[in-house]
Amino acid sequence: MSNIILKTKNLNKSFKSGTQEQQVLKNLDIEFYEGDFTVIMGSSGAGKSTLLYALSGMDRPTSGDIRFFDADIANLNNDKLAVFRRKNCGFVFQQMFLLDNMSILDNILASGYLTSGDKKTIVENAKELLQKVGLTEMIWRKFPTQLSGGENQRAAIVRALINKPRVVFADEPTGALNSVAGKAVLDVLSDINNEGQNIIMVTHDLRSARRGNRILYLKDGVIGGECNLGKYVSGDKQRHEKLQSFLLEMGW
Amino acid sequence: MKKLWLLAFANIRKTKSASTTLTILFIIAALLLNTGLLVVFNYGNFYNDLKSELNTSNAYFALPDALYTEEVESYLTHNEHVEQLQVNDGLLLDANILSKGEEKKFSIMFTNMDETREISKWKFVGEHLPAQEMSVYVPDIFKAVSGYQLNDKMEIKYKDRVTKEEKTLSFTVKGYTEDMYFSSTDTGYISFYVPSDTYQKLKDTLSQQQSLLHIVYTNLDNVKNTSVVESGIRERLNLSSTSFMAADPSTALVVIDIELIELSRCMMASMISAMMVMFSLIIVIVCLLVVRFRIVNSMEEDTMKIGSLKSVGYTSRQIILSILLQFSSLAAIGSLIGCSLSYPILPAVSAVFEQQSGLKWEQGFDGIITGATFIFLLLIVMSITLIAARNIKKLNPINALRGETVARNYKKNHVQLENAVGRLPFILALKSMMQSMKQNIMIIVILIAVAFCGTFGVIMFYNTTVDTKAFAEIPGMEICNAVAILNPEQDQTETVRFIESMDNVTKAQFFDQVKLSVDDMEVATYVMDDYDKKETKLVYEGRYPENENEITLAGILAKRLEKKVGDTITISHGEKSEQFKVVGLSNGCQMGGINASIRTKDYLRFNPDYKQQSLYIYLEKGTDAEQFIATLESKFDQSILLTTVNFDKEMESGMASYQTIVAAMGLAMLVITLLVVSLVLYFVISSSVIRKKRELGIQKAIGFTTLQLMNQLSISFTIPIVIGVLSGALLGALYTNPMMSLAMSGVGIMKAGFVIDYSWILAFGIATILFSYLLSMLITWRIRRISAYALVTE
Repeated sequence: MSNIILKTKNLNKSFKSGTQEQQVLKNLDIEFYEGDFTVIMGSSGAGKSTLLYALSGMDRPTSGDIRFFDADIANLNNDKLAVFRRKNCGFVFQQMFLLDNMSILDNILASGYLTSGDKKTIVENAKELLQKVGLTEMIWRKFPTQLSGGENQRAAIVRALINKPRVVFADEPTGALNSVAGKAVLDVLSDINNEGQNIIMVTHDLRSARRGNRILYLKDGVIGGECNLGKYVSGDKQRHEKLQSFLLEMGW
Repeated sequence: MKKLWLLAFANIRKTKSASTTLTILFIIAALLLNTGLLVVFNYGNFYNDLKSELNTSNAYFALPDALYTEEVESYLTHNEHVEQLQVNDGLLLDANILSKGEEKKFSIMFTNMDETREISKWKFVGEHLPAQEMSVYVPDIFKAVSGYQLNDKMEIKYKDRVTKEEKTLSFTVKGYTEDMYFSSTDTGYISFYVPSDTYQKLKDTLSQQQSLLHIVYTNLDNVKNTSVVESGIRERLNLSSTSFMAADPSTALVVIDIELIELSRCMMASMISAMMVMFSLIIVIVCLLVVRFRIVNSMEEDTMKIGSLKSVGYTSRQIILSILLQFSSLAAIGSLIGCSLSYPILPAVSAVFEQQSGLKWEQGFDGIITGATFIFLLLIVMSITLIAARNIKKLNPINALRGETVARNYKKNHVQLENAVGRLPFILALKSMMQSMKQNIMIIVILIAVAFCGTFGVIMFYNTTVDTKAFAEIPGMEICNAVAILNPEQDQTETVRFIESMDNVTKAQFFDQVKLSVDDMEVATYVMDDYDKKETKLVYEGRYPENENEITLAGILAKRLEKKVGDTITISHGEKSEQFKVVGLSNGCQMGGINASIRTKDYLRFNPDYKQQSLYIYLEKGTDAEQFIATLESKFDQSILLTTVNFDKEMESGMASYQTIVAAMGLAMLVITLLVVSLVLYFVISSSVIRKKRELGIQKAIGFTTLQLMNQLSISFTIPIVIGVLSGALLGALYTNPMMSLAMSGVGIMKAGFVIDYSWILAFGIATILFSYLLSMLITWRIRRISAYALVTE
């Protein structure tokens, strides 16, 4: 068994709407392990994104503990959470959320400069990562509005990786992309996971989900089931069938 | 239409704080503009109306009884230039009266109120009570400035000329008066009107004081001929000294014409109204720039709403009309409040003018000016709104619903992070600033304008409270600490030597004022041995006379004579006449700017009998002039020392009202400047936070703290603020004097020399920048409410 990198205990999250309170996460006890590409699945409104953002310190739980390596992040204030995020988390969003007023390279450097004073190394790393995800030098100088969705998402992955985060959190990273662009993005995620990067991804897309080695199924705010697929190997048909039957079993 | 009103008011309700701020800006703009216009258009009219109402004569000649000879009377009665003449008597008394808890010196002229007058009438101001014994009707400034109420006792203290004892006359104030010549201390005497029995009593009491004065009011064929008539009187009486500090009032001929009065009465009003209108126009322009910014921004923010309105069937015209209604309503409310507020403020402005002019300006509601102000502001706002809203016609509902018009396409990558040096928030601020050049230009322009006004305010405040030398030089007098009027019949060489050797005396020199005819114009002329020793240098072009037959002219006089440095003029006195070369031009509104300066040696050729009389004494800093004068008077009797003048005290009381007015105005300009800066920054920054909500949310998500973002945004605004403030302050420092020269050239200040203390201006600039930065941080504090989580879940 690998080391635990992230652990929740009695994690609850509820939202108030007028006088009504809706509990989205219910007493969740989950552990995430080093080197895993964990995929969180579930039906709409199951609380997948809520869980992802609670785990990453983007949002605070209503109650319960979240241990991120040695840190208890559930009770940090907003600014401490921001500092925590910049050092430990990388984010890949469905809508990319690149800054439109900056070039691709600047988007990455703006994130990189936040944690390191060594600007030269950050620039070198950024360029190396950009080349690695298949973005040429010509693209680095462009603005997000001048690029395709796939190119933007790959740039967003580089931004997520620039600070060598302990965990990359991805929320439907292929949700806004066509199949070709989506595959390219997933390839990048698989590659970095193979290199040891911890990834926790939320998706409802089967092709995306099969990239993970561990699938958690969230149902009405609790873990409904778990499936271990093993490390991703391209063209593994059995993997796809195993995932499908797990999801069928979960009532997906 | 009702729908559109509802839409407009829904928008106002939705943007409560922005609407409130906008309304405040309209209030400020309307308040300043309406007040400025009312002063500019109505104060001059008020003066002219009053002049006509009182049938004021062209000029008056005040002749002490001893000078009002039969020859003079006949000369005046049969003078070809005199068209109408009226002689009234008065009793002159130099006395002290308690004013605001302090005894002040006044040259009072008691006048019989029961005398009938055809010209130069007087009138009551406000309520007055019937006369009783020892009743007095005093100029309105005694109510407005000194605080005397009806039935208050007024004690008038004077020194008996014969016994040297201090005596007191007690009166009861029964009313307040106004006349063109004698309502203000600025132009010689002030008139106290008393019933005939009281007048007779006073005449008996003051008979020893040689105080009887004959005021000859004249309507001349041309007011310019006043000096011609004056020359004639002087010739007949063989008079040359015109010193305002003439030793013996019984020998002083005072001549004042209506132009001089107008200059004096309207000086403060024209100066202040010019400043007020300039300032109000700047603020109005600033307000309108902000209004335009707000309208354009609000339409950008509401693009999606506009799209949804279009999609449900509203026409572009209806949407534009609702926006027009929204901003016009705010403009109408703000302008209405601003215009209304200007009326309660006007009495305060009027009181300021009255301190100097002695005339009570009561401004009622002026529908034309106020209506014009209101309509002007409303039309401007409507035009701005229509121009800004015209793009709504081109807006496709689908694009609008997608918010596409809000998204901006960037093309140039300013400040590349790869090569940039400095801390990240600073680099990003620089980047953001470079990407908002239009907005920055607006901020710079606004800050230049307000910093210019603020600097002007600082300079005025500094010159009236810290270093008052330049301000004190405005009247154009030689500034010393005390003046000893010596008996010209005696040889005063020893006296001068003694005074020079007295404790705390740094210098003593003669400085007299005589009358000479310069190119046929009667001119008050300063006479001095050596102008190098003059302390108050007023020459702004050329120099003071150094050699034989050289003269320096006051700027106004030179303008009137159409002379410049290097020209030649003819000076004459009696039968003698000589050519003088103009070597310099000087500032100063003494005698309405009709004055000149020559050397004693030159004057002696015109008047060989001339004896120097006014000894100007300069004391060490911190010396009490009052105490010095007491010592001086104890050393000499009247055969040597005719009288003394506490110049420090005279200056202080003379300048006090001006200083208070200008200092208050400077302070008001500073406060309004800071208020406008605050409102402008609030608008621009809060709009920017709303516009950059997505960008800030992303930055928060990737780990920027609220403080970093606040700094980033504040720095991006601080750069144009620094440029604007420093440029505005520099322009203020460079152009305050030229601007004041222009505003005050009419009163003789051809080249204003207000002290520009750069450390104060720098301090003001730095304080404004710091204030702006702190304010920016305070406004950007709302960034804390922007949540990264909300961004990704929206």
